[in-house]
Amino acid sequence: MSTAYPLPTNLSTTTVTNTASLLRIVALGLISAAAIASRLFAVINFESIIHEFDPWFNYRATRVLASQGFYEFWNWFDPTAWYPLGRVVGGTVYPGLMATSGVIYNFLHAFHLPVDIRNICVLLAPGFSALTAWATYMFTKEMKDESAGLLAAAFIGIVPGYISRSVAGSYDNEAIAIFLLMFTFYCWIKALKTGSALFGTLAAVFYFYMVAAWGGYAFITNMIPVHALTLMLMGRFSSRLYVAYCSWYAIGTLSSMQVPFVGFQPVRTSEHMGALGVFGLLQIVAFAQLARSHLSSKQFQNLLTVSVVAMGVVGTFGFIALTYMGWIAPWTGRFYSLWDTGYAKKYIPIIASVSEHQPTAWPSFFMDLQLLIFLFPAGVILCFRELRDEHVFVIIYSVVASYFAGVMVRLMLTLTPVVCVSSAVAFSSLIDTYLDPTQPEGEEESEADSSNGTNTAATPSKKEKAKKPAASTSALNDIVTAATSQSSSKSKSKGIWGLDTRLIVIVNAIGMLSFFVFHCTWVTANAYSSPSVVLASTNPDGSQHIIDDFREAYYWLRQNTPQDAVVMSWWDYGYQIAGMADRPTLVDNNTWNNSKSHIATVGKAMSSSEEVAYPILRKHDVDYVLVIFGGLLGYSGDDINKFLWMVRIAQGVWPDEIQEPNYFTPQGEYRVDDRASSAMKNSLMYKMSYYRFAELFGGNNAMDRVRQQTMPKVGPTLDYLDEAFTSENWIVRIYQVRKEDLLGRDLKSANAFAQGKKKKKSKPVSRRKAIPV
Amino acid sequence: MSSSNSSPSAQSTSPQSPILSLWKAYTQNTSDRLKFIDTFLVFLMASGVIQFLYCVLVTNFPFNAFLAGFASTVGQFVLTASLRSQVNPENRSEFKEVSPERAFADFAIGSIVLHFFVFNFLG
Amino acid sequence: MWSFYTFILLIFGFVSVLDAKSSSGNSVLVILDPARQPDYSIFFNGLKEKGYDLTFRAPKDEAPVLIEDDIPSFAHVILFAPDSKHFGKDVTPQALVQLLSSQTNLLIALGQKQNLVTSLAPEFSLILPPPGSSLVSYFPERKEPPTVVPIDVPSSSKILSSSSSPVWFSGVPFALGNNPLVFPILSAPAEGFAADSEGSTADALFDAADKGGEGLWAGSQLAVAAGFQALGGARATWVGGVELFSDEFAKKEISKGVKSGNQQAAADLAAWTFQESLVLRIDSTTHHLVGTSVPKEHYTTNDVVEYVAQISRFNPSKDKWEPYSGLDDLQLEFTMLDPHIRTALPPVPGSPGKYAVTFRVPDRHGVFKFVVDYKRKGWTHLQSSTTVPVVPPRHDGYPRFLSAAWPYYAGAISTSLGFFLFSAIYLAGDPREGNLRGLRAKSTKAQ
Repeated sequence: MSTAYPLPTNLSTTTVTNTASLLRIVALGLISAAAIASRLFAVINFESIIHEFDPWFNYRATRVLASQGFYEFWNWFDPTAWYPLGRVVGGTVYPGLMATSGVIYNFLHAFHLPVDIRNICVLLAPGFSALTAWATYMFTKEMKDESAGLLAAAFIGIVPGYISRSVAGSYDNEAIAIFLLMFTFYCWIKALKTGSALFGTLAAVFYFYMVAAWGGYAFITNMIPVHALTLMLMGRFSSRLYVAYCSWYAIGTLSSMQVPFVGFQPVRTSEHMGALGVFGLLQIVAFAQLARSHLSSKQFQNLLTVSVVAMGVVGTFGFIALTYMGWIAPWTGRFYSLWDTGYAKKYIPIIASVSEHQPTAWPSFFMDLQLLIFLFPAGVILCFRELRDEHVFVIIYSVVASYFAGVMVRLMLTLTPVVCVSSAVAFSSLIDTYLDPTQPEGEEESEADSSNGTNTAATPSKKEKAKKPAASTSALNDIVTAATSQSSSKSKSKGIWGLDTRLIVIVNAIGMLSFFVFHCTWVTANAYSSPSVVLASTNPDGSQHIIDDFREAYYWLRQNTPQDAVVMSWWDYGYQIAGMADRPTLVDNNTWNNSKSHIATVGKAMSSSEEVAYPILRKHDVDYVLVIFGGLLGYSGDDINKFLWMVRIAQGVWPDEIQEPNYFTPQGEYRVDDRASSAMKNSLMYKMSYYRFAELFGGNNAMDRVRQQTMPKVGPTLDYLDEAFTSENWIVRIYQVRKEDLLGRDLKSANAFAQGKKKKKSKPVSRRKAIPV
Repeated sequence: MSSSNSSPSAQSTSPQSPILSLWKAYTQNTSDRLKFIDTFLVFLMASGVIQFLYCVLVTNFPFNAFLAGFASTVGQFVLTASLRSQVNPENRSEFKEVSPERAFADFAIGSIVLHFFVFNFLG
Repeated sequence: MWSFYTFILLIFGFVSVLDAKSSSGNSVLVILDPARQPDYSIFFNGLKEKGYDLTFRAPKDEAPVLIEDDIPSFAHVILFAPDSKHFGKDVTPQALVQLLSSQTNLLIALGQKQNLVTSLAPEFSLILPPPGSSLVSYFPERKEPPTVVPIDVPSSSKILSSSSSPVWFSGVPFALGNNPLVFPILSAPAEGFAADSEGSTADALFDAADKGGEGLWAGSQLAVAAGFQALGGARATWVGGVELFSDEFAKKEISKGVKSGNQQAAADLAAWTFQESLVLRIDSTTHHLVGTSVPKEHYTTNDVVEYVAQISRFNPSKDKWEPYSGLDDLQLEFTMLDPHIRTALPPVPGSPGKYAVTFRVPDRHGVFKFVVDYKRKGWTHLQSSTTVPVVPPRHDGYPRFLSAAWPYYAGAISTSLGFFLFSAIYLAGDPREGNLRGLRAKSTKAQ
């Protein structure tokens, strides 16, 4: 068989294998290095700091774990969160992330390497991303072969969809969860392929680790049963499936209940019933197989029909009865909101207000995945062509993940691994085809003489410059030879001729890959590497200007207020205040108490007038109130933009006192200038944001840069709060709550007196009371 | 073993004979070793049923203990059933990479992990 | 030698102890017209005998200032200038209120003229009658003009010692608003009413009757002396007329041979105002688990906790704080947003000044506060708040092995035992099987 380019012939197969392994190991090493390196932009540009909001809580918890040991962490009751309700951290957190950091910390300290816990937390995500690349390699190796695996590892190493949640400093559950996801899936596929209970057990152990690490474990809990069910419906039940699924389910479910936060949910909630149902179904089908081997087919048919019908009826009624009686909890709100996108906005405004829960816009697919997004369907179709058991899994995963990624931006993360895998399969198939040096013989010349001219033009194409027409004419050739019903000889009748064809396609592919790398690096550096605690902007001369208002304010709180001063702010900033300012907060990002009290109370306090808000503040012992105001700088993530969510959430609990339409103008606009409604102007949030803002502009009208509206010349006045601190760019404003008046007056009158106004004369209080007849 | 023969009363006499012929074929065709595995399976199933009845009829108060005990029987049952299917000579074609010795080793490891979790959850 | 010095010190101490002192300082600033000073000599001498340092200042003077560099210069201020129109620059209503926030006590006398004092009174929730009116009473029959009224001292008064002689009063009555911090010390007589002096009393009565009695400035709902306890602990006393303190009224006889109670009443008013009488304080509060004596950093739900408070009262004659067990309605609240527990804090018999109560922490975790909040009219306000977290039981605080779960324990253990037995027998049977298979394989190979 002729080859397009010469191959060395004096190599033994073992040398080839060894060299290939060496190259693979080197490639994996380089991919890991690239994965880690591309996540370090934030550390290099700014500093080694924990980003965002949620990671600050994880960091605090890890500090407790590292300094006081595991049992103290397990029993940790945090009295400074959700003051004064406190938070039982041990039972309301997924401990996997903190436990991992704790283990690494102790391990390093056992070797007398005194690494600070903060550095471990910051660099954990890049480290685990290297492991994710390796896990994806193993997974794709099962799908196709090692080369596809390497491509998949490279893709997931640098793709922005995954980087966004795993940069250095993003110390969140997803940092280790994606690694565990891929590795659990790998163990599952391996268990399925080999039918070994060892891999099933391994899958169950890593599933347990995943349950301990991330709330998204429910995805695995439902993916694997759906896969098993599909295989059974396709008629592919086999003992291997039985062994793999049962060993995974039995050990995995039992171990997942060890995590206190999960508790008894796996046998109580609807989200886990699917796995249980498939488990039961598998037992039945396995038993049926066993019976079939001992019976004639007709008897078996009868028995089977009867028992299946009975089982189905009993099972359905049982499930409905149990749900009705309350033994099995119905679907939770978060899952409803995945199916009905309007559900959350009506019933659970807290879930709808989180920015990560908004539906995904089309451009973000391209930004996060670039060329992978159009290779992805090609890969899925290739899976259809092969359709072994593991390919069914990839197909199901792709379909499900695509739907969910369209519903919520946050779930782009679960789509990313399968996109990497299938696009790697597609891309690797392409490269395989064009790297394959074999090319068909020229025997078609004689056979195709009788065919039409296009054929003769195609055959001697060693020197032909036609690129893609080469492929299409070979297909045409194929049709022609089939039409002439000539059986093909020893050599293939279709293939790719010539080095030039190959070169063009390969060079094009490499070009696309380098564009991909370029895109990923650019997106990572510019979009996903900001710590969001520190903002950066460019000066007119191009140099970087750091806006450090948040930390400035938090450290002011830390150094200038008593240790037990309670701070009230909107829940977004709770974790950061707890982490950096180290003060008790009223509500934080955990948002567990979303229906009654606390978050709604804070919302009510922010949106009511001072007189109504003051008793709430005193009841909760609030000493300081913190608001974020972006009007001076143009920072659009400030509290006035989030204000309507506060109103909505408060309205959910106090619909008679707070109505959302009151905060709009009669024409229905959301204004903050002199046309703002009176409820808006009197609300605590408005007053705190714009207090003394008008003074900044030296006589001209103040301009709110975010809302693009001109403020009235006279700003609001505050009677019940004193301004305590405003950061450099007015982004963070802190107010102190005044204590009750010395003489027992209400503070508004007290203020009026202090400014010299005289009180009106009044008559004596009438002591007469109506005598009941 | 007999799962739902209470319902098909409308059927003809043939439901009886599939069960009987099933039993006959079973006792004849299976080897002693597989029968031994099957007795263990029956024992596990009985233990699980007893625990389940206790939970439903008397009290489910220490629910974690119930789950631990019940899950230990169920888990052991499926592991043993897996072992049985892997050891069964009829299934050799399916399990190319798993020899019977390897099957037992997997079974042992799985059971040990299972028991570890069970005892952790029990108390 | 040493003993001689201690002897001298003892003498001095003894001498000083004889005098009743205030619990909060001795320096008093008296703002009054210097020409009128001799009229109040009995009152002022009485104060000096008790040990107070009096500094006199005319209203228009600029020195000595009330507040210097945000620190009050005196512990107490007496303002006997109801007729002055102009005061020094530092005497403003806002400054007087600021004095209260710095624990300075005030004794203020009102008059008929409108001045700084009358504009300050509404801040203290006092409602003054129309300007120019004063208290008028035609009963009991006496030879003094109707504007000079003898007022009986009620026997239930804690502040004024219940001597039987009534007190001569001439001045302005006032009504009290809704503020719970103000309370009457001496109410106007039931037959008294406020009217312009001389002549228009009949008109005033007629107008009032016409309105059906609404807004009537009459009766015992009006007070002539009211006490105000500011939230910081300072006390302010408002008296409707400065003549109550004058020598003339002190010497005037109520009836033949019966001296008026003015001197005693004036001394009592000053004693209350200057934090001598009815002064309490919380010495200390502790909490601990029943059975231990050291306070814990945090408690677990359903713990049984004991809370102990030590309360003293100031004894002016001995000039020291003594433990006081006379409060029988003290309450303790165990609060998290709302009181979860509210119980009486009774005195412990046998331990003077000690109040203790034992209770069970509620079954709710969170950050709780032990709150003692005691407000009674006339007595110092007692407030104490101790924050303590209440945590749920530790993971090993629950009973580990429950007897109700024995079938499950039996099941789990039997499963493990069964597994071990099974593997043992299985492995024991293995070589036989392996040999068999080997034999069979050999036989098939051979064939």
